[in-house]
Amino acid sequence: MTVSARDLAVLTRFSGRLFWRDRAAQSTSVGLFLGLGIGLPFLMDRLRPGRPDFVVDQHVGVLTMVLVLATFGQITITLTARRDQLLLKRMRATGLADRDILGGEVANLVVQGTGLAAVVSVALYALTSLPVPRDPLLYLLAVVAGAAVLCLLGTAFTAAVPRAELAAVMSMPVFLLSGFGAGGFGPLLQMAPEWVRAVFELLPSSAVAEVARVAYAADGSLVGDLQAAAVPALKLAVWAAVGLAATARWFRWEIRRP
Amino acid sequence: MAAIQVNGLRKSYGDFTAVRDISFEVPQGEIFALLGRNGAGKTTTMEVLAGFQAPDGGPGGGTVRVLGLDPVRDRARVRRSVGIMLQEAGFFPDLTVAQTVDAWRDFVAAPRPRDEALELTSLGSKAATRVRQLSGGEKRRLDLALAILSRPDVLFLDEPTTGMDPEARRRTWEVILDLARQGTTILLTTHYLEEAQRLASSMAIMDRGRIVAGGGMAETLAAQTGRVAFDLPLSVGVEELPVPGATLEGGTVVCRVTEPDLAAQTLLGWAGERGLRLRGLEVRTATLEDLFLDLSADEKNDERSGEKSGERNEREVV
Repeated sequence: MTVSARDLAVLTRFSGRLFWRDRAAQSTSVGLFLGLGIGLPFLMDRLRPGRPDFVVDQHVGVLTMVLVLATFGQITITLTARRDQLLLKRMRATGLADRDILGGEVANLVVQGTGLAAVVSVALYALTSLPVPRDPLLYLLAVVAGAAVLCLLGTAFTAAVPRAELAAVMSMPVFLLSGFGAGGFGPLLQMAPEWVRAVFELLPSSAVAEVARVAYAADGSLVGDLQAAAVPALKLAVWAAVGLAATARWFRWEIRRP
Repeated sequence: MAAIQVNGLRKSYGDFTAVRDISFEVPQGEIFALLGRNGAGKTTTMEVLAGFQAPDGGPGGGTVRVLGLDPVRDRARVRRSVGIMLQEAGFFPDLTVAQTVDAWRDFVAAPRPRDEALELTSLGSKAATRVRQLSGGEKRRLDLALAILSRPDVLFLDEPTTGMDPEARRRTWEVILDLARQGTTILLTTHYLEEAQRLASSMAIMDRGRIVAGGGMAETLAAQTGRVAFDLPLSVGVEELPVPGATLEGGTVVCRVTEPDLAAQTLLGWAGERGLRLRGLEVRTATLEDLFLDLSADEKNDERSGEKSGERNEREVV
């Protein structure tokens, strides 16, 4: 294990400890994740019994939406607060590399997001007619890659947030648009004009939902799955590159000097 | 090789130049004090040395080296050998003192044991206290504990004792002096001139981004005037005193002289011959405070003469 990998592991664990001490973070990132992630598909299952395809659509849409909340939203809030309180500056005063400080936060939220997605999925398998994904590995990849890319984008987004108090408000539109695009509010996008659908399909959250739907599709093969997931995977890769480049260019480690 | 080298450093923020062409060196194991009023450029200088800010681009920005390395380009290597006590930096308020130190021990290589760090900074009894419940002075001590965890070769201390009570301040001074005795090079900024005089072997006084005085502490102070002061006896005028340059400040005579002990002897002999007492007699050699006040007075005089010459020029123009 290289020194950097050790630091990354230390920081991931440290970020996790801080997260689980933060009641506000738990109520939004965990409470809303589980409440909406389980509640809405459960409701759909009761309203449309015997239609597991509806439950899959609802589950994937809502899961993508709450994943945005628990990754993009949470990292925006956490990093702007630590930036404004000069905690990031204090951490940089140690020998830790910048990439490890940010990487630890990203890794923690990816682990948490994946864990929460697992809890939601297992609860729905037990409580509703939601089937287990045909390709569970692809489903896992969609969640992990999606969480990582959304965290990177949230990290870059902090540069646009002038004060920590505005972080939640400013990340809310991203949460709502992602939910709309991924089908978290139902099949609203199908009623939108073609060009609107085309724009929403470019979102990273839509790519996550697309890969997850491939994993849940009743029919398919490994080769077919890989072909179907290639385009959304490419979209995620492009968004990851955008997130990394924007972070390298604009990320602020401390409050702006007057 | 000096542990810290600053050569022609210049740092600007937009149109504002915070540090203008300053140079100094700090040999290994020495304590160097950067002094000056708020906004003089001390913290900016320290932030450049700590690698948080880069000097201005181009050859006009100058160079800084810490342990022979560029603190911006080689930041990771420099930080492994450096401890930094920032003037302003947050803590995780819900962690206890012990949890904070434990977390930071994970962040640095070969850290001191937690108890040793807390003992050195007199925070042992606060180990179980949440950081949000600490006083300002206790937070500064925790700051110091984190800065010295990695047994650094170079220590940057920005206002290290601000908010501490006198006892804690003196204990902190002992820690700093001990570290220097063990070979740690220390650069500190402080508002407390007594602190700088007590700790530092060399210093620089900054004003508006420039170094306006500096050098070895002992040599610099030796070149300054000392002070003899006493209450002026009722029947005596200032002009009758046997020491030149005496001035009356309130009811107190103040003589600024290079050798205050000899001046005091002369004054006491003169008073004895006349059966006078010099009540409230104070004799002291030059202090940093005197130097600081002299520099401020010079600056005000310069400003006044600048204004007058400006007025004259205006009149001439008119």
